[in-house]
Amino acid sequence: MLKRAVAVIHIPDNLSQKIEFLLGSSDAISNEPIEIFSEQRVAFLAQLSRLLLADPVGKSMPDIAAFAYWCRQANLERMRERYDPKSRLQMGLGLTFHICPANVPVNFAFSMAFGLLSGNSCVLRLPSKPSATIDLLASAIQKQLNEPCYQHLRQDLVLMRFDRDDEIVKFLISIADGRIIWGGDETVAHMRSFPSKPRSREVAFPDRYSLCLLEPVCILEMGKQAFDRFCFALYNDIYLMDQSACSSPQLIAWIGEPKEVEAAQRKLWPEVVKIARQKYPLQAVHVIDKFTAVCRNSIANLGVQSIERNTNVLYRIQLSFLDKHQDECRGYFGTIHEVVLPHLDALAPIVSERYQTLTVQGIDHTVIRQWITRNRLRGIDRVVPVGRALDMSILWDGYDLIGSLSRVVDL
Amino acid sequence: MLGKETLGDIATWPVYELPQARKQSLLLSVMQDLTSHHANSCPGYRAILQKLWNIEDITNLETVPFLPVRLFKHERLISVEPTEVVKTMTSSGTSGTAVSQIFLDKHTSAMQVKVLSRIMGEFIGPKRLPLLVIDCRKTIADRQKFSARTAGILGFSVFGREVEFALDDDMSINEERVMGFLSKHAGESILIFGFTFIVWLYLVRWLESNGRSLNLERGILIHGGGWKQLQSQAVDPEDFKRRLKGVTGITRIHNYYGMVEQTGSIFMECEHGYLHSSVWSEVFVRDPMSFDPLPFGQPGLIQLLSAIPRSYPGHSLLSEDEGVLHGIDNCKCGRKGSYFKVLGRVQDAEARGCSDTYTR
Repeated sequence: MLKRAVAVIHIPDNLSQKIEFLLGSSDAISNEPIEIFSEQRVAFLAQLSRLLLADPVGKSMPDIAAFAYWCRQANLERMRERYDPKSRLQMGLGLTFHICPANVPVNFAFSMAFGLLSGNSCVLRLPSKPSATIDLLASAIQKQLNEPCYQHLRQDLVLMRFDRDDEIVKFLISIADGRIIWGGDETVAHMRSFPSKPRSREVAFPDRYSLCLLEPVCILEMGKQAFDRFCFALYNDIYLMDQSACSSPQLIAWIGEPKEVEAAQRKLWPEVVKIARQKYPLQAVHVIDKFTAVCRNSIANLGVQSIERNTNVLYRIQLSFLDKHQDECRGYFGTIHEVVLPHLDALAPIVSERYQTLTVQGIDHTVIRQWITRNRLRGIDRVVPVGRALDMSILWDGYDLIGSLSRVVDL
Repeated sequence: MLGKETLGDIATWPVYELPQARKQSLLLSVMQDLTSHHANSCPGYRAILQKLWNIEDITNLETVPFLPVRLFKHERLISVEPTEVVKTMTSSGTSGTAVSQIFLDKHTSAMQVKVLSRIMGEFIGPKRLPLLVIDCRKTIADRQKFSARTAGILGFSVFGREVEFALDDDMSINEERVMGFLSKHAGESILIFGFTFIVWLYLVRWLESNGRSLNLERGILIHGGGWKQLQSQAVDPEDFKRRLKGVTGITRIHNYYGMVEQTGSIFMECEHGYLHSSVWSEVFVRDPMSFDPLPFGQPGLIQLLSAIPRSYPGHSLLSEDEGVLHGIDNCKCGRKGSYFKVLGRVQDAEARGCSDTYTR
């Protein structure tokens, strides 16, 4: 009988010497796919979720808690139902190679979950920058893999670190059936310069721009409780990632009458500032970055009418019109661009393929849907309520991640 | 309003003698004049003023608008015709590869020299002294790399004569040359200049670890420039002085603080370890969270005013250094003006975002 082709990959010694393996090894990496949302993988992630939530340290770290909450059993089941894996056969591609982001350490765990749930083995290159989040997650994953019941997963998961090294990357891309690249335009372009398998797939996360739509009357009419919740939600979207995540809102577009907008702004911003002053650890170096950025903005952006500086916690850059390249005017650490528009269509001309997340309050989803189709928008991949800008989803950056990393067997 | 022609007089002001009230009113009128001059002459400065400040109410020195010093790394800010520029100064700094660009016309450049020599005269006397530079000749030879170190050495060379370099191009002390310099100027006071971390690393530490000493008792050491490249080595000023004295015998040691964006208006350290504002400069310490001025004793961001910059809008700058204001007019050294200490650069924070993965 013919021996089955060995589905185990070896990393050549000259390369593996330069690699630090946090999990897995260089001589036994599987590239065998499995069906999407397999029972064992769902169980693995659900158990990981329990493990993390049971750890007081893990539970206290917001990014780890968010991941643990995301991959708890009930949520995974909900996701699974969407793909209907029982009635149709969908398999992973084989081996996925992931370049994970340094500045949002927890995203490696999401990346891993996407790779595993879509039926692939995963080789993840973790950032070299020290991170408590990564240490804690990696040790929890390791602990769980040591359990006999997850033995079969050991060849399916490799966590590694290596210094910038094109030879290693070149090799890993050459063996990968799918690659997931978290990073800006530059990283994505760099990874594309390496040859890959003819059938390999790519999920790339380049630089994106996100914005928020607000309807003034809805904010004016909110009762105290709803308003407090709303302010907190907006605070989270803006401040939790220092406004540096691709889904953090940069622009607030008010759709309505200038008078009502003004009243809503007067109600809204002092409250958001109050929360930020209590909760946001603004550092002196952030202030210098912010202040330099608004000064540059004052010079460069002709649309800037005035800049409202409420202490240094929030800078509100008032725009008299939207620049065609609005997506290049970014702010961090609580720097918001604001514009007042008479109707939604006035926003359409600036929406390029760079636009990712639209957070919305007070505007109906049907209206948004019609707006996107009517204007044939090239961008905007997510529309979520205010407060959910940073929630990771299996639909991200316009990809159905499971669909993108698997193949459908027509049976 | 003070015009350009009267500015020459400014250089004749007494360096450390004016009581605060008098100094304030003199400096305020210069600041008001400079602010409106730059607003009229520099479009970038005007744009910032219009959007971020209420310029009607510059009623005291605290309300003079300030720019973040890093802005000069990103924007070309100039308040004279480009044809009037006689010199462009650059500084690398620490944030990435961007370089500050400071444009000087004849007038501003001359003011820098005048003011600097007036301040220095207070510490080393009116005569030029033999100058020993704690650095190597190579540092000033390569004009392509016009660093802060080059600028500092060349700038201070003006106050010395018969300049000698203590270090060879490999940064080792040439004891023979130093001894030669000392015996040539036996009995005279000498001026010694060097960058703080160079003095520390290649003079103090070298002498200590080789069990050597040099007799520089007659020297007046002027050092500055911070520890940017050697943050891990930074020692506290008292330790610096004590150990320097241990291997060289020097007792007259003056640190100075200043930035290339306000060349000339330097803050000299007095015998009691405080940095002093001269009559041409003022310092405020601001709360990073609000930019409100902080009272004496509380640490915050250092803002610097200088009467010199006329060819570029650098008369009021927010630095990236943290410091503490200790008082005004009542330092034990007898010099008038505000006095303060620098604590160091603001701590770099962790940058966050999705797009930092492989290439950067």
